[in-house]
Amino acid sequence: MLWMMAFFSIFSVLAETTSTDEKIVGVFYMKPIFGHVHQSSVRTSASLTTIQCAHPVKVIETSKVQAGPEWAYVQVADYKGFVLKEYLSEKRPDCFQGQYPKFFDSLNLDLAELYYWGRLYDHYVQGDTRVK
Amino acid sequence: MITTYKGIPVLSKLMMMTLLLSATAHAQDSEKLQEEKELELVNFTHIKKVLQQDGLSQEAKQKVKQVKILKKEQKVMEGSRFFYPPESELWGFVSEYWLVKNAQILGWDFNKPDYGLETSFKSMMEKLGFYQKKFKILLLNTPTVVRTSLPGSDHEIILLLSVPFIRSLDLTKLEISLLLLEDFLRMEAGYFKKQVSTDKMKKLAGANFETTKIDPSMVQELLANYDKQVNITGYTFQQQFEITKKMDAFLKSSPELWNTYFKMLSKIDRFIKSNAQYKDYVKLYPSPEMQVKWLSPDEKVL
Repeated sequence: MLWMMAFFSIFSVLAETTSTDEKIVGVFYMKPIFGHVHQSSVRTSASLTTIQCAHPVKVIETSKVQAGPEWAYVQVADYKGFVLKEYLSEKRPDCFQGQYPKFFDSLNLDLAELYYWGRLYDHYVQGDTRVK
Repeated sequence: MITTYKGIPVLSKLMMMTLLLSATAHAQDSEKLQEEKELELVNFTHIKKVLQQDGLSQEAKQKVKQVKILKKEQKVMEGSRFFYPPESELWGFVSEYWLVKNAQILGWDFNKPDYGLETSFKSMMEKLGFYQKKFKILLLNTPTVVRTSLPGSDHEIILLLSVPFIRSLDLTKLEISLLLLEDFLRMEAGYFKKQVSTDKMKKLAGANFETTKIDPSMVQELLANYDKQVNITGYTFQQQFEITKKMDAFLKSSPELWNTYFKMLSKIDRFIKSNAQYKDYVKLYPSPEMQVKWLSPDEKVL
């Protein structure tokens, strides 16, 4: 009996730590036309879900997950994963599909195309030149 | 104490007067037809002055005006949903759509090491004085498409490059950057857009299709032209000559870069002549051999 009580008390303490340690930093929005919530903070890691431009994303801070400088640890619906910081915006962006909805709908993109479109942004090496 | 007037209590007198007045009014009312009474209810003219004094009719007019404006705005908003993207946005969108449609053929969704291309290409561009230029590099895991550049949105350029090709040639970061620069200049020269664009695209880009039916063939035609340009047409001798001369002019100020470019072209020339897998390269980019000749100093006849 004592053993069981000890087990439950430890379990409840752990549960409490899990719930209190996570802090929502803020709600951000997806910038590219499509993007992925990744399983790990690697560009080619598996996708948990595909989200489209302007989709709200909760950025979470927790001591249990180290996201790395390029990545944000996020929650989208029931999924918790990683999104590249450069693809998140504080303000709701003007998305292509929002500006030209009827044109965009007419393309009838299938699931594979949505997936690949999100993947495309994981593989781009982007840059811009500046005056020094 | 009860207040009296001429011996009659004031309260009783008031009650009597009220009764008398209501009886008179009732008598007048009963003289009117039912229809007349109904008309009075419908006809508001006798209360118009009261309404005007209250400013209600003015407010009603303003409300009608507001509704008109809102309806007009709603119509404009609804109409704005039926636009084709303008050319500046359409190019980038179609380029990405083409990349998505050809994802399996181009094989860009693969694990690769970080070649540090962003830094090396950027620093070379800046060294040569190309400022405020945006680029995206996409590495391909196929020998089928060796290299090309596509127009991106907002003056951006998408550069594609085959990893099997750069590995087979064992190209350095600098050499890869020079290849990318060539493709960058091709895109800036406008050859791709000129060869791929259609009359339909020029006509429909930025147009509204609220009252007409959307034409899906515009995008389909563009995608077909992308295929043709990347896999079959490529660039002409004249276009290649112009680009080679541009490279020559830009690299002249940096002998190290010029020499690397010259050696790289010779390397590509030897490689594609000996490798059947890349036999189509010369048809698309004619030709490294000629490029070397164009760059070589004229031989003086003594």
